[in-house]
Amino acid sequence: MHANDRGDPVRLAYTTISMTVIGFIVLPLVFIIWMSFFSNKILSFPPEGYTLEWYARAWDLADFRDGFFLSMRMSLISTAISLVLGLPASFALARGRFPGRDAINTILMSPLMVPGIVSGGALFVFFLEIEFLTDVIIAGSSLGLIIAYSLIGLPWMVRLVTTSLIGVNPSIEEAARSLGAGPLTVFFRITLPVIKPGLIAGSLFAFVNAFIDLEKSLFLVGPDHTTLQIALLNYLEWTFDSTIGAVATVQIALVAALLIITDHYVKLSRAF
Amino acid sequence: MTVADMTINSAPRVAARKTRQRSRLPWLMSPALIFVIACLLFPLAMMLRYSLNHYDPAELMVSALTAENYLKFFSDSFYQEVLWRTVGISVLSTVICLVAGVPVAYFLARYTSALYKRVLLLLILVPLLIGNVVRTSAWMLILNDTGVLAAFLGLFGYTGRLNLMYTSTGVVIGLVSVLLPFMVITLNSVFEAIDHNLEDAASSLGAGHLTIMRQVVLPLALPGILAGSVLCLILAMNAYATPVLIGGPTFNMMAPIVYQQIAKAMNWPFGAALAFVLMAATLVMTIGVSAVVQNKYRKWSE
Repeated sequence: MHANDRGDPVRLAYTTISMTVIGFIVLPLVFIIWMSFFSNKILSFPPEGYTLEWYARAWDLADFRDGFFLSMRMSLISTAISLVLGLPASFALARGRFPGRDAINTILMSPLMVPGIVSGGALFVFFLEIEFLTDVIIAGSSLGLIIAYSLIGLPWMVRLVTTSLIGVNPSIEEAARSLGAGPLTVFFRITLPVIKPGLIAGSLFAFVNAFIDLEKSLFLVGPDHTTLQIALLNYLEWTFDSTIGAVATVQIALVAALLIITDHYVKLSRAF
Repeated sequence: MTVADMTINSAPRVAARKTRQRSRLPWLMSPALIFVIACLLFPLAMMLRYSLNHYDPAELMVSALTAENYLKFFSDSFYQEVLWRTVGISVLSTVICLVAGVPVAYFLARYTSALYKRVLLLLILVPLLIGNVVRTSAWMLILNDTGVLAAFLGLFGYTGRLNLMYTSTGVVIGLVSVLLPFMVITLNSVFEAIDHNLEDAASSLGAGHLTIMRQVVLPLALPGILAGSVLCLILAMNAYATPVLIGGPTFNMMAPIVYQQIAKAMNWPFGAALAFVLMAATLVMTIGVSAVVQNKYRKWSE
């Protein structure tokens, strides 16, 4: 009834309020992208002219460049680990009916529920204690970040893959097996194509959430071993210029592209 | 052997294999389970234990069994103030998100075509995963005394100072923009699930739109309102980037001082106590919100 009634004042009120609120969410990003092209040395509105210089400057700053590649590397490795740990766990959760299943599900989801600043602090203390005992440096090295980011990715992976696995009827796999297909053939020819959307969405969510992590990284970065988010935070404490805009624009483009790909496979609003 | 024979012969074997596989299933998740227990739950338990240790400036942490860190928190007015500021700002941000989120979520559920909705949802969700540092830096650009808002107001002849950076107003604005997308998608999925025939029925019986919202839609959406509010509260209580960047160094909230105590001051016992006070406060507020909402629900359903 509503959809056809364009002149409806209630509809008009909802449209106005919603556009204002969505503007409030989106406009800041538009402004920061705009700012990355300003030619002014000192930030002012409106700009004197436009330039791409800030992108070159952001690339020249070792903190941002190294931070970007470190974040990329750490997030990719962690996504792979959460896939290796999460895929079998999802099978068990989706197919199994065993005692304690709900409790185990809660444990696997717990990294999402414990606030980042608390789990980050706990990891930091834990890693330093291991270092005191064994001289193995974890906090401040890649290992610490990989462990933290794998914790971030795992619940997303399990949640999204489990949801897609529930859609697979196990009797189809049984049928393929009874017709002589080996377990690998069954997995690659039957199960994998059906859970592909869940796997892609899970991997992309794991990757993005690791890449943008701030609170755990804060505790676990070290000298010459700083992720992009921490490099940005450190820079912002002293300077605010269009270099920030350039880095932000690159990050917005990266995340937006990954989310649009995800949306193609799994409705994004269902992922949360 | 015919195909029929094969099927008959293999049936018991398939069944046997099926049971065997079912019983093996739980083992498949042991690597993930061990990983989470060893790298999250154990460190948390360890930190809980450390919060009962004694801190000594020379030796750092001394093993003990004392409540002194918690007592220090509750006897020091500085930390009391930090906790109440965190609670106040979180509640205010959550309420604003609720008020602003309901119309947007309802609009998306009732007034948009499939494609339009998909585009709007992407616009709401992309900022959510853009990272808190980048999003907060965008607000710094707007709220700054030489920023977007000041320039915009300047067009209308306002040249006074904005005084939004380094204030609680600025922090609330920043937090609301971080939390709103969570509220909108949580509420939206609940509104989608409500049969709109109910609204049509109420409307045909003469109820105005606000009455329908108050009497029909919102009571049915209460689980979503609860879930969205709890999510916003948890995220606001533990926010780091917004208070640090918009609030500035003198604007203290819980998450930044937890980081400061554990990583900078290396006072692990007190830092651990702060972390668990933060978790406990968040939990108490979550329970409080649930109680308020359930009470409301009872009143509505009578």
